[in-house]
Amino acid sequence: MTAESLSALSLSIRVAVFATALNALIGIPLAYVLARRQFLGKTAVDLLVTLPLVLPPTVTGFYLIVLLGRRGWLGGPLYEATGWSITFTWYAAVVAATVMALPLLVRTARAAIESVDRDLERAAHTLGRSEWRAALEVTLPLARNGIIAGLVLAFARALGEFGATLMLAGNIPGRTATVPLSIYTAVQTGESGEALGLVATLTVLSCVVLVVAGRLGARAT
Amino acid sequence: MTARLDVDLEKQLPGFDLQVRWTAGDGIAVLFGPSGAGKSLTLACLAGLVRPDAGRIVVDGRVLFDAATGVDLPPQRRRVGYVFQGYALFPHLSVADNIGFGLRDRPRAERTRRVAEVVERLGLGGLEARRPAELSGGQRQRVALGRALAIDPALLLLDEPLSALDLPLRRALRDELRATLADLRMAAVVVTHDFTEAYRLGDRIVVYDRGRVVQTAPRSELLWQPASEAVARIMAIPNVLRGTVVKATPDRIQLRWRGQLLEAVNSPARAYLPAPDTPLAFFIRPEYVRLIRKDRGLADPSHHMNVMHGTVVEEADFGTTWLLRLRLDEPGAPAQGAYDLEVEVPHLVYEILEIDRDRHWEFSIHRGSIHVLPG
Repeated sequence: MTAESLSALSLSIRVAVFATALNALIGIPLAYVLARRQFLGKTAVDLLVTLPLVLPPTVTGFYLIVLLGRRGWLGGPLYEATGWSITFTWYAAVVAATVMALPLLVRTARAAIESVDRDLERAAHTLGRSEWRAALEVTLPLARNGIIAGLVLAFARALGEFGATLMLAGNIPGRTATVPLSIYTAVQTGESGEALGLVATLTVLSCVVLVVAGRLGARAT
Repeated sequence: MTARLDVDLEKQLPGFDLQVRWTAGDGIAVLFGPSGAGKSLTLACLAGLVRPDAGRIVVDGRVLFDAATGVDLPPQRRRVGYVFQGYALFPHLSVADNIGFGLRDRPRAERTRRVAEVVERLGLGGLEARRPAELSGGQRQRVALGRALAIDPALLLLDEPLSALDLPLRRALRDELRATLADLRMAAVVVTHDFTEAYRLGDRIVVYDRGRVVQTAPRSELLWQPASEAVARIMAIPNVLRGTVVKATPDRIQLRWRGQLLEAVNSPARAYLPAPDTPLAFFIRPEYVRLIRKDRGLADPSHHMNVMHGTVVEEADFGTTWLLRLRLDEPGAPAQGAYDLEVEVPHLVYEILEIDRDRHWEFSIHRGSIHVLPG
């Protein structure tokens, strides 16, 4: 494997790990709230989180540029104030992967949380737990396998993200060229040996992830 | 009776309206009624899991909820032990951790001691390390009870505590539960839709129907004096019948039913004096109908009153007793479909009288066994 391939691989893993961590941070509380609370705008939040699952990744990427780009709603003011923009950095790859993976985690975790008997939470309330403590000590531990399965899926999705990453982060070798992007470049430039190595690596990684997710899923039921 | 529990609740839900008011003293109060009458919702309000729209809940002088003054203690501060229908044991925790769940704020040594105490008291020794999935139904019920008791609650709530069990076990555990609860001398409220269970477990029974309390009474009073035909039907009392008043005095009520003139006891205490021709509901307990032996000559009028004649049209063997369905020798449609009266006789009587061979009988009902249901 060439130095470029190795750097793509290490970047991809780093992006996937950070994206998965962000997913856990945002996605688990979000899944809990969607599963257990009624609030104004719940349908809108649900829709917003799920959209990246059905939209073409390039469309999601486009929205991310509108939001975070140098002239975006959030990115614009940030660029004016600091002269820094997230576009074409590896952070952008993390953001793109996070947004694309989030629906997978939220949907899986939400289903797992919804399947926890609400009487268990009520019992925890009568035994001195606030809603927050009951979630931490009862609901989430019982939904654990579903949540872990969701995280594994999110990791796999983040590892393979292409379209939205290309839109927001570009394809800069050594900086934002993740494995899927490098494969695309290698094929375009006729370096089929290099492409093959990366394809094989990604295939093996994905198989491992699927087996792990399958085992957790089997234990969850 | 000193009221330990004073409940006054109003709660409006889509398609359901709960409006109840009752009190209970020492001992066990049973909320009894058909499914969907609002019994479990009442428990949820007592525990603070559902917020009533209006009303007041007082336990031993401590106000848990009062809409007027805005008091609404959260469930974790009410000190209410709740045994859920199906028990709701934490499947990921051991028996000991389940029982100790409500003791998190206590020092470790005290927690351990308290769990050991509860385990001992409920006979769960040796099962401390097991998970709920590894327990029998009866053991699960005891763990659920132990978990609720461990926090030393001011009030104990049990929602259909026996419904998750098989029938033979239910009976045994019903009596065991009664003994345990009696032992605890704690204000307790049990929800059930089974009258036998209500009668066995409760000292005082609160009858629920469609979001309202239709009667509150000590259990024996409820058994013999349901407040209305509706209560009698909820209790699934057999032979709830409808006649018309002939004459009412403070001591007796004469009524006409299926061409018979019947005499029932009235109670001066309730001062119920309906006018002649008023429709009137009453019930006759099947085990209090007396078949008159044919080998002893004519029926002695001083022993037998409200004498009638009828034929056995259906019968069912209940092991220790026979249930007979009798149709009176009267023209017109029978009172209860194909028959007029259900009569229960012990097996021995059935055999001695050879009822399987002889189907036509004369029978009598003492006036004290005809129970009038005020409208």
